[in-house]
Amino acid sequence: MLELENIIFHYEDGTQIADYCFDLKIKTGEIAGITGRSGSGKSTCIDIISGFLSANSGRILVDGQEIGQLPPGLRPVTVLFQKNNLFDHLLVHQNVALGINTSLNLSKNEKRAITEALERVGLEHLKDAPSQRLSGGEQQRVALARSLVANRPVLLLDEPFSALDAEVREEMLSLVRGIVSDKNLATLLVTHDVNDCHKIANNHYDLKDGAFVVRSV
Amino acid sequence: MAGRSALGKRTAIIRPGLSIYPGLMVSVLLLLLVCAVFVAVITTGLEQNTALSFDGVGRLLAFTTAQATASTLSALLLGTLLAWSLNHRRHFKGRRILLALLSVSMVLPTVVTALGLITVLGRNGWVNQGHLWLFGQDSGLSIYGIGGILIAHTWLNAPFISRGLLHRLEGIPVERLKLAASLRLSPWQRFKIVEWPALSVATPGLVMTVFLLCFTSFSIVLILGGSPNFNTLEVAIFEAVKLEFDLTRAAMLALVQLGVCGFLVMLAASLPQRSSAIAPPSFFHMWPDPIAARAIQTTVIVFFSLILTAPLSAVVMDGLHGDIFKILQDRLFRQAFLTSLIIAGLSSVLTIACALAIAATRRNLGSNLRTRQSNLSWLVGWLISFMGTGYLAMPSIVLGLGFFVIFQNLPMDTDHLAPLVLILANVLMALPFALVVFFPAMQKSGQRYDKLAFSLNIRGLARWRLIDWPSLRSEIGFVSALSFCLSLGDLGVIALFGNRDFITLPWLLYQNLGSYRTADASVIALVLLVLVTSVFLLLPALVEKRHHAGT
Repeated sequence: MLELENIIFHYEDGTQIADYCFDLKIKTGEIAGITGRSGSGKSTCIDIISGFLSANSGRILVDGQEIGQLPPGLRPVTVLFQKNNLFDHLLVHQNVALGINTSLNLSKNEKRAITEALERVGLEHLKDAPSQRLSGGEQQRVALARSLVANRPVLLLDEPFSALDAEVREEMLSLVRGIVSDKNLATLLVTHDVNDCHKIANNHYDLKDGAFVVRSV
Repeated sequence: MAGRSALGKRTAIIRPGLSIYPGLMVSVLLLLLVCAVFVAVITTGLEQNTALSFDGVGRLLAFTTAQATASTLSALLLGTLLAWSLNHRRHFKGRRILLALLSVSMVLPTVVTALGLITVLGRNGWVNQGHLWLFGQDSGLSIYGIGGILIAHTWLNAPFISRGLLHRLEGIPVERLKLAASLRLSPWQRFKIVEWPALSVATPGLVMTVFLLCFTSFSIVLILGGSPNFNTLEVAIFEAVKLEFDLTRAAMLALVQLGVCGFLVMLAASLPQRSSAIAPPSFFHMWPDPIAARAIQTTVIVFFSLILTAPLSAVVMDGLHGDIFKILQDRLFRQAFLTSLIIAGLSSVLTIACALAIAATRRNLGSNLRTRQSNLSWLVGWLISFMGTGYLAMPSIVLGLGFFVIFQNLPMDTDHLAPLVLILANVLMALPFALVVFFPAMQKSGQRYDKLAFSLNIRGLARWRLIDWPSLRSEIGFVSALSFCLSLGDLGVIALFGNRDFITLPWLLYQNLGSYRTADASVIALVLLVLVTSVFLLLPALVEKRHHAGT
């Protein structure tokens, strides 16, 4: 379970000031969808959970453990960004392997896990392909496969499907739904499309004036 | 959110940690070194009553400035014309060869260029021989003097300007070209409205760099100057040390040189940083220009091809006519060859190591993800980036002089330290260029992959192996070739430290020229030409190939 307890984040630069207050609970196996205008704080919320920003106050708990002081790589979360989810110069299986072993010296079990993850996302035939040759949808599938092998209990999706066409997007949403159920992941989906929330989210929140407002799904 | 730069209460969790220290240490060490040299020069320059009349310095400064201004203007005019022509003529046979020639000419040892120009334009050169054959009399053309200096500087720097501007022209977004075509702009209107804005962004920096290179030019003026009337500050420093052994005069001239170069570097740093839209080079086929414009483009390209290839061909032909086997078996040649390779190799490795460390520190200090932004981190980042270009203000002959003065005061035999000085001078000479190449690539790799790498906990050597090396390999290949070639061709520091036991190929070539052993000099020039061309064209390709073989 992922819990945000009274997370306060204050932001200011030369032109704008913003205050955010995040309170949220996502149970294992559930998807919470977050929508909101540009600049409403959707990506800020993801950055705070994943460790790229530190909140001014509040607690982030995963399965009851406080993770707010951990660096990003040691947090029990996997993030899918909108773009740049793969290292272009590496092969598909190498990109997946980084989820379990960053030295890329893999054991037999690790190799098997990678093959299974690629099978799960339907890309086993592209195992040895250079990542830069993949389409946008295929790249996001590989990133999902990596999240499968990483086996972390929280999945954060920062508008990863916004650049995909409608058909591929539909496939990806259904793939995510399946993976979340299989692996019992607590998942946060940030999207600008309310329909995405309606399709796969258990709960839908709208970010307004720096805080979550519950919407019906 | 990701694009925000100023932070307020935004703080980074990822600490830069040890990653900033190598670059910081390298910067501080180099800074101390340069300061030591500066102090040595300034104390020597001011320790005795001045023996230098103001008129002497004024005349040297005036000529140095005048020749650098004229050379820069001439290189700018021809370089711009060539860049414009090449941009409009993107499909002709030999274009790639011409582009490769432009690159090679930028790194060719100046002493080889000078020799090639002498063969073409000298008293018994090709042009005079042709004139004699056609008209029965000598043309009176002489390569020695101000004319020769200007021609050589233009030959060396117009390609540099041309490559820089062509990169900008090829990066003009294709939509703008389409818009220009749909509005039926004439070539002149297109130049004024579409192309000039792209060129004007790069021109001030290129002009400043070329002016600095011409201002501190040594070998060309030494070989082609022909008379003390055409001495520049740099050559006057050399003559004061080697011929007159007047270190005070040399140091005072060096201070003037340092002052002017420092002013120019600061001026360049204070130029407003304008940006213009730049896209990856596109091979968008332009609409055909009017016949007059095409005629100008063809003439410029043919003219340049001839101008570029003539001195190189002269070096090759003269070299092949020389007694190659005799030279190759000569003990002195072998010694110079080996010394040159070792010095250039070590200089190249050290340049890459220093530049990578400095570029990484600069990137890490500027990254919101890694560093808690403070006035201190900003100051350190600024200092490091300033020092990157600051070394341009320290010409190698001044650096050499500084070490020469320091060694004079050491109570020990310092001959064995000469190679170290040469390597350090080469590193400082190549460092600004290496940083210009590495920093944008490293910053780009950071912006693209930092978040992903941090979220996957890829750090230390794994980060270097998996992310930085693949992202920077082509730049590393290019910089290693560039620094190797620049080091191989240096005639500045070796002119102060060279002797019978410590000799490099350019120094041996210069000595042969000085003692009228032109045939031997031609063979050495050919060896240098082949070596530089091979390294510059093959080394980057080899680095790429090795990487692909490894993946």
